[in-house]
Amino acid sequence: MKLLFLLSTLLFWLATGLFAWHDRAVAPRPMPQPPAPPAPAAAASAVPGAERRISLADVARHARPDDCWMAIDGSVYDFTAYLPRHPSEPEVIEAWCGREASEAYRTKTRGRPHSAAATRRMADYRLGTLDPPPR
Amino acid sequence: MTLPPRLRVPAFVLALLVGVLAWAWPAELPPWRAVGVAIGWAGTALIVAATALIVREPRLARWLGGVEAMLRGHHVSGTLGYALLLLHPLALALDEALQDGGRGWAVLDPRAQGSAERLGWAALLLLMVGLASSFSMRLRWRRWHAWHHVLAAGVVLGLLHVERLLGDPGLWWWLAAAVALALGLRYLALDRGLTALPFRVAAVQHLGPQVIEATLAPLASPLPVQPGQFVLLAFGHGPGFHGCGEFHPFTVSGLGARGDLRVAIKALGPCSTHAQQLSVGTAVRLQGPFGNFLLDDEGRPESPTGPQLWVAGGIGITPFVAALRHAMPARPLTLLYLVRAADGAPFAEELLRLAAGHPLLTLQVQPSRDAAVDLPALLDRVGGLAQCQVRACGPAPLVQALRRVLAERGLPADALRAEQFDFR
Repeated sequence: MKLLFLLSTLLFWLATGLFAWHDRAVAPRPMPQPPAPPAPAAAASAVPGAERRISLADVARHARPDDCWMAIDGSVYDFTAYLPRHPSEPEVIEAWCGREASEAYRTKTRGRPHSAAATRRMADYRLGTLDPPPR
Repeated sequence: MTLPPRLRVPAFVLALLVGVLAWAWPAELPPWRAVGVAIGWAGTALIVAATALIVREPRLARWLGGVEAMLRGHHVSGTLGYALLLLHPLALALDEALQDGGRGWAVLDPRAQGSAERLGWAALLLLMVGLASSFSMRLRWRRWHAWHHVLAAGVVLGLLHVERLLGDPGLWWWLAAAVALALGLRYLALDRGLTALPFRVAAVQHLGPQVIEATLAPLASPLPVQPGQFVLLAFGHGPGFHGCGEFHPFTVSGLGARGDLRVAIKALGPCSTHAQQLSVGTAVRLQGPFGNFLLDDEGRPESPTGPQLWVAGGIGITPFVAALRHAMPARPLTLLYLVRAADGAPFAEELLRLAAGHPLLTLQVQPSRDAAVDLPALLDRVGGLAQCQVRACGPAPLVQALRRVLAERGLPADALRAEQFDFR
């Protein structure tokens, strides 16, 4: 058992070091692909160069795990690609697909906020601004 | 059909592992993420099993096949669980790194994660430090025992890490309750002796340098001890004596008519060295009995059908003394008593008297002066060695050497049973 302890601990630190080195060595994460062409209702209000505005009704049309949008603090996000990587069980986050999820994001429904790192990472999945904006 | 004693601890650990994985099996996750989650749950189950196995309660120990089996299970389950928990974050990081432009370190970096992940890191580091100290045999027992508490802290933080990530705690409550119960029973009931029985030192005999034999009389219920078993004993206070109060294992060397016990105490550490000054009237507390050395699967003294060889190294003579004081052998028995000349030979005079009066008992006291004993030559003088049932009690190197020599002489591995003294 002592040998197992020593070997596993050594391999753990080697692998951790390898991941840290790899992250420094690889290119920065590519920007997410441009969002899909807007739906006709949104296109009517689209102005070239302006941010995409998305209504809560539009968000509600993307309420499945394989097509999951959420509105959080005035922005709309497409979390479809992220869902499998969310730390908790899938059903925890899937319950908020197609919905206004600001309170759930701030409290994780248990009084504990998401980390600053999670907030920074959310930007990768942002689609546009919620219209009308929350009060 | 009841499970053989040697399979009960493995069955307990396996049942917990399978149960937890069946409840927590990840579904609809990318492959490496699923591996990471499953490994995390498997490691958690093994760590919880290892924690449960610290409850050194006599009836539970008998049911699980003995306190030695529980200790072995605790070591194996705990170390395997730790190794799996190390793989858990690595698999999650690998899952992230395999994405286009993915960065595995971002998953591991505690500065970039939330409180749940930081709890996980803290738990892993505490387990790492705690296990490192556990494997250090050079640490004195008290310091080793103190460092072991770090492992308990690691287990608690690990469970909090899991709770922070779960949407629906579910099975987590059962795991947390099992850990809380095990730690509570161990720290409060066992280590503090709330379940111990009170005894009083009725007599003290000095057997040689650094060895005494204490006769203990029960003040309440007696302990149902069999020859070959040991008890956990804590020395209290008496006339001119203040005991250390810690529970340490001592083999019973004799059983009296009214529940009196005799225990041999050799000066091996601070507590047992101080106990050499033990005085009559000192209060002691006992837990047990434990162990199944010289006992069959039903907990009764063994009834061999052929010749026996008993090998004792130093104070390892004690269980054999208890057995011979209880009943003389009904089959030919050779007792090989290996002693270092500097340590004296406790019980040698009594054993020589017993052997002189009993034709089936052959006693050989073999002193050595810091030179290795010629074990092969000694064993070659034992009549009918190939048919012997062998029992050994002594330092680990002696037992290992004995195992090797017996194998060379064609005895099967299960012909030898050895008593382990070290509780680490």
